[in-house]
Amino acid sequence: MVTIYIDGVGYEVPAGTNLVDVAKFYADNDIPVFCYHPKMAPVGMCRMCLVEMGSVEKDKESGTVLLDEQGSPKIRWMPKMQTACTQTVYDGLAIRTNTQQVTEAREDIVEFLLTSHPLDCPICDKGGECPLQNLTMRHGPGVSVFYFEDKMHLAKHVPLGELIYLDRERCIQCARCIRFSDELAGDDVLAFHERGRALQIVTVSDPPFDSKFSGNTTDICPVGALTTADFRFGARPWELKEVPSIDPYGPEGANISLSTRLDRDSGGGIIIKRVMPRQNEHVNEIWISDKTRFGHHHTRHIDRLVTPLHREKNTLIETTWDKAFKQIIDKLKGATSVGAIAGPGLSNEDLWELRQLVLAVGGSEKSLGIWPATMSGGEVVKQVGIAKGSNFNTMGKGTVIVLVATDLEEEAPIWWLRAKAARDRGATVVVLNGRPTKMDRYAKFSLRHEYGDAVGAINSLTAHIVNGNHHKADRAEGFAELQKALKKVKADDRYAAAAEAIAGADNVVVFCGAEGVTLAQHAELMQACANVLILTGHVGRTNNGLIPVWPGANTQGAIDLGYTAEATAELLQNPPAVLIVAGCNPVGEDIAAANLRNADFVIVTSQFDTATTAIADVVLPQQSFAEREGTFTSGERRVQRFYAAQGVIGESFPDWKIFAQVRHAIDKSTAKVSAGAVMAEITKSVAAYSAMGYKNLAQVERQFPDVGGTDQYYGGTAYQNTGGIGVQWPVSAENAEAKLNVVPVSSEKSKAKGLLVVPTTLLYDRGMLFVRSEIMSLRIPPAHANFSPADAQKLKLQDGDMVEINLEGASLTVQIIVNETIPAGVITLPKCLSDQPGPFAPMVAGSIEKVAQALAATGD
Amino acid sequence: MAYILLRDLDIPDIGKLDVYTTNGGWEGFKKAVTQHTPEEVINIVIDSNLRGRGGAGFSAGRKWSFIPKNEPVKYVVVNADESEPGTFKDRQIMEKNPYQLIEGAMICAYAIQATAVYIYCRGEFWDLAHNLEACIAEAREQNLIGQNILGGNWSCDMFVHLGAGAYICGEESALLNSLQGFLGQPRVRPPFPAQKGGGLYYEPTVVNNVETLANVPWILVNGAAEYKKIGTPESPGPKIFSVSGHVARPGNYEVPLGTTFRELLFDKAGGTGTNKAFKALLPSGASGPVIPVTEQMLDTPMTYEALGKLGSTLGSASFILMDESTDMVWAAYKMIKFFKHESCGKCTPCREGTHWLAKLMEHVIHGEATMLDLEKLENVAKQMNGKSLCALNDFAINPILATLKHFRSEYVAYIKTPAPAAKPKQPAPVKKQLEEVAEPAGD
Ligand SMILES: Cc1cc2nc3c(=O)[nH]c(=O)nc-3n(C[C@H](O)[C@H](O)[C@H](O)COP(=O)(O)O)c2cc1C
Ligand code: SF4
Ligand code: SF4
Ligand code: FES
Repeated sequence: MVTIYIDGVGYEVPAGTNLVDVAKFYADNDIPVFCYHPKMAPVGMCRMCLVEMGSVEKDKESGTVLLDEQGSPKIRWMPKMQTACTQTVYDGLAIRTNTQQVTEAREDIVEFLLTSHPLDCPICDKGGECPLQNLTMRHGPGVSVFYFEDKMHLAKHVPLGELIYLDRERCIQCARCIRFSDELAGDDVLAFHERGRALQIVTVSDPPFDSKFSGNTTDICPVGALTTADFRFGARPWELKEVPSIDPYGPEGANISLSTRLDRDSGGGIIIKRVMPRQNEHVNEIWISDKTRFGHHHTRHIDRLVTPLHREKNTLIETTWDKAFKQIIDKLKGATSVGAIAGPGLSNEDLWELRQLVLAVGGSEKSLGIWPATMSGGEVVKQVGIAKGSNFNTMGKGTVIVLVATDLEEEAPIWWLRAKAARDRGATVVVLNGRPTKMDRYAKFSLRHEYGDAVGAINSLTAHIVNGNHHKADRAEGFAELQKALKKVKADDRYAAAAEAIAGADNVVVFCGAEGVTLAQHAELMQACANVLILTGHVGRTNNGLIPVWPGANTQGAIDLGYTAEATAELLQNPPAVLIVAGCNPVGEDIAAANLRNADFVIVTSQFDTATTAIADVVLPQQSFAEREGTFTSGERRVQRFYAAQGVIGESFPDWKIFAQVRHAIDKSTAKVSAGAVMAEITKSVAAYSAMGYKNLAQVERQFPDVGGTDQYYGGTAYQNTGGIGVQWPVSAENAEAKLNVVPVSSEKSKAKGLLVVPTTLLYDRGMLFVRSEIMSLRIPPAHANFSPADAQKLKLQDGDMVEINLEGASLTVQIIVNETIPAGVITLPKCLSDQPGPFAPMVAGSIEKVAQALAATGD
Repeated sequence: MAYILLRDLDIPDIGKLDVYTTNGGWEGFKKAVTQHTPEEVINIVIDSNLRGRGGAGFSAGRKWSFIPKNEPVKYVVVNADESEPGTFKDRQIMEKNPYQLIEGAMICAYAIQATAVYIYCRGEFWDLAHNLEACIAEAREQNLIGQNILGGNWSCDMFVHLGAGAYICGEESALLNSLQGFLGQPRVRPPFPAQKGGGLYYEPTVVNNVETLANVPWILVNGAAEYKKIGTPESPGPKIFSVSGHVARPGNYEVPLGTTFRELLFDKAGGTGTNKAFKALLPSGASGPVIPVTEQMLDTPMTYEALGKLGSTLGSASFILMDESTDMVWAAYKMIKFFKHESCGKCTPCREGTHWLAKLMEHVIHGEATMLDLEKLENVAKQMNGKSLCALNDFAINPILATLKHFRSEYVAYIKTPAPAAKPKQPAPVKKQLEEVAEPAGD
């Protein structure tokens, strides 16, 4: 801590922090800023933050502060005013913010900005929550002597791509948008063109504004220069009611705010007008991906199912809830076997009631499956998951971040953003995958392994750690056995340096995905990662541990409540007599799910018609995340609440309510009346969730930097967190006494010969919910497969050709992309890009036939 | 006395490497490398009190001494952007006497143990840049540049880079950005170029003007004491003055600092060459305040300090002379338009202020201004003053404030509309009065 003086008062503040941030947080002194943003390096452009600055005079020998006649510290002031935003605090720094000189400077800058500003606040989206408006009210001169006719007039509807529009008149050239894209997102997509008063924002990428984070620039733009195609002219901020919610797509648990109002689009019902970030410095800070921001349209899509359906003479027809329930109850009561597959967007409450129902009618945990069923290792997470209280904001030098078998930006963009920021602060990144991904640009160690050999790669790391005597085995249960097994591992030299970096790091975080890994291999891969973490002591401490890159928003919750991917695999192999599929579309997505047709009776809860509802006997309309309350558990095991925001569509119900009522009819248990009551039961039954009562989850805390506070000018329009920052559950490694299991894992590769098809995950796919947001349709690529140049040549294929790939009985038509980053012998096939199901696990391709020439090849 | 900088005037072929060498060329460099440690070279240059010729007049040797010793990568960047209106001195050095610049830059590079030297030329100097490249290649062949220079352990290469035509890229930190391939906008300082994090590719870097470096070989050969015999104690050495405008013999004149204006303007440049008298002088192109030419002023010695006392700056010593036929309002208008065009746009006061000043001057020139607008000009200039990242902002207000100060009557002559009639006096709140002032902006 150091002492700084603001307007004559001394404050103790943390050393090395930014003056604007600490003045706001510790002294409640709002130094006005436009270009400065607490999440980005200062640039000192707008000059709004000018203050008088100086240093206290200290006695040369003793170092004590010299005092003037009044007993206040003597200060040597600099002749010119200085920008506060570019100043890091040091002991003895002094500023004056309330003098005439400073007041006038603020007036001067505001007046200058307004001379070129169109002042079309009455039709501006930002009006009402605009930093320029707010600072003009607070610091503006009140009058201007500028000639109105001298104002410049510039283009007002410049599309920077199809999602974001630029109003060139409103832009105040603060460069926040450029800096966010360049520095934080790592996307070279925006730039300044020209100079002086002609300075303007342009997009320099093709396709334009090619970034998964573009919407964030509209939040941090301090004026209404950047607006989204989604919300433009949609509503005025003051008409909107903000409802706290959680991103329904990703495992990061991004906190969002749903801006809602009564709207004619819904015939007067309450609907979501836009999705905004909600500040949670533990989770997503103030950022969300474009998928989260623009992917909300399924919630009121015209295709939403509005009544229950049941099968009559082989077609699904509308029915009533009563009839549907009766049918279901009859079937369940007499069922010889029951199973359930739960989608990634079910809340913990949904999952709990579904579980209770399945158990009540004779099912076991073995019949509780998760969807997608690509990842395993829930037990490993319980031991060595990232420790409670960890925060990427506090990672930097000394931290090693390891990415295993994941394309993190596509699978969990917010983690990508935060991991990259940690790297920019000095953290070391290690990437282990079968092909390069965007993170490789920032990696100190980019380590390629053959697809199918991810476990072998981690075993190499472990072997180097143990052989080099870098390990600590004191907490490792089963070390002798592991050591023995490691003797047989041929440690690949390429991994030596990374192993040393991991062993020598203060903190290590491992992201483990499942790219190119079968479910069985994944269980081993997670254990392999755990071995590394345990043996290097990187568990149970803040900023250490394992983060599984789960495929959905609440996969962690499902695992916590007893669901597994292994159960799903078993259900796909041997469908039960009665199958409940809740909120997912296995049949439409995964070729391995074709077998589900063989279940005698299929109950599906869904928001839309899908290939899975097509095999259902009863379909129940499910509510979207926006219409109900609930909780999701993030991949960092943070349980977080979302709240009902939007009017209910049709006769839809939340899943928990559906299953609770069915169970009530079967075993006369009291059906819960609220999601909160369901959670109350979970807190009593599931040890890890004992602290997860709704009251606890709704707790908030003061955040630093304080972005979404009452004065919306500082960090943009991220919203203050009023809905709760959530609660993490601890892993067993956090108990210092606990022994942790290290287990030898086999590095055996699969032996099958042929081209290996590796399914990959893209952020923008044709998943049944996301595809409903038509605004994003240009961002979803056509169904395609990436071939290495060598394989394309062998198969006489060209970039753009259409091919039919045969896979275990299924066949898939895709366009091919010849891609230099793909290793020979491998085809990567992004999941969920077409209406045909594809593989979810790596498998060897059967025949590959060209069905159409690339356009270019026809001489166009 | 023989020329020190414009040696081509004494030896026409000095631009050839053999001619340069046989006429004492590279002696300073060889002496530095073989007889002095880098620190000694820095101390000699500090002793000489050579001041930067790019505008700010900062001690070259002290600048070199700021470079951290233990950094592995360090650079020298030669500022050959020469874009101040009326400046054409660096051009003559590079065109006619290129090896002297190259040698000076290499001495600097040795003194800071740089790994590379970059010469950043303004875009229009492309022919000159090609010539420099050829010269560098020849010097490289003679092991004066490149690997293991003169058989020692030190290696340092030299490259030429062309800008794309922006005045602001002469400002050292904008120059560094441009050299790195970024938008030519100044950087926040600290860190300064000499510090880690502030220089080229964020490594410690010396940025010096062409003329500054061209002084260095002579200093090494003849010693600091000899150098200080030229000029005045505070402003030692020779200086090239680029004289243009209403003079009989425009051109570059190398004279010792401390020479009087009279000597330069009359003895060398031949006065106006017409029957008109000098009216005003822009001593540092567009960026320094204009000085009225008076008898007393003509007898002042030209040094950094004396120009300061005259309310102006020596800057790069580009003397633009204006005789009594010159319309000073028009001249000021031209200059503010120049700054408006060249403002990089990074800072609000400079970007908006130059735009606004140019607009106001347009009104003045077109006879649409009122007396209130003259006040406004002054107010806007004050509103800008000292509030920006780099000096361009403060340069931009000089033409307006200085011409208003010295030639206000010429502005008044442009005012056709009488000032709005004073309202009957009544005790009004301050706010109210301000609104009245604001009236013309209404409708
Ligand atoms: C707007 C602006 C333009 C400048 N243009 C030039 C220039 O064209 N050439 C130059 O040598 N210095 C120029 N400078 C000065 C440089 O920033 C810097 O002070 C100089 O290169 C340092 O070299 P010196 O110490 O040898 O003078 C300019 C400064 C400003 C603020
Ligand atoms: S568009 Fe907005 S964020 Fe970007 S420079 Fe302009 S004002 Fe700043
Ligand atoms: S003062 Fe002007 S030229 Fe200098 S950085 Fe600012 S805007 Fe650019
Ligand atoms: S210059 Fe400090 S906030 Fe813009």
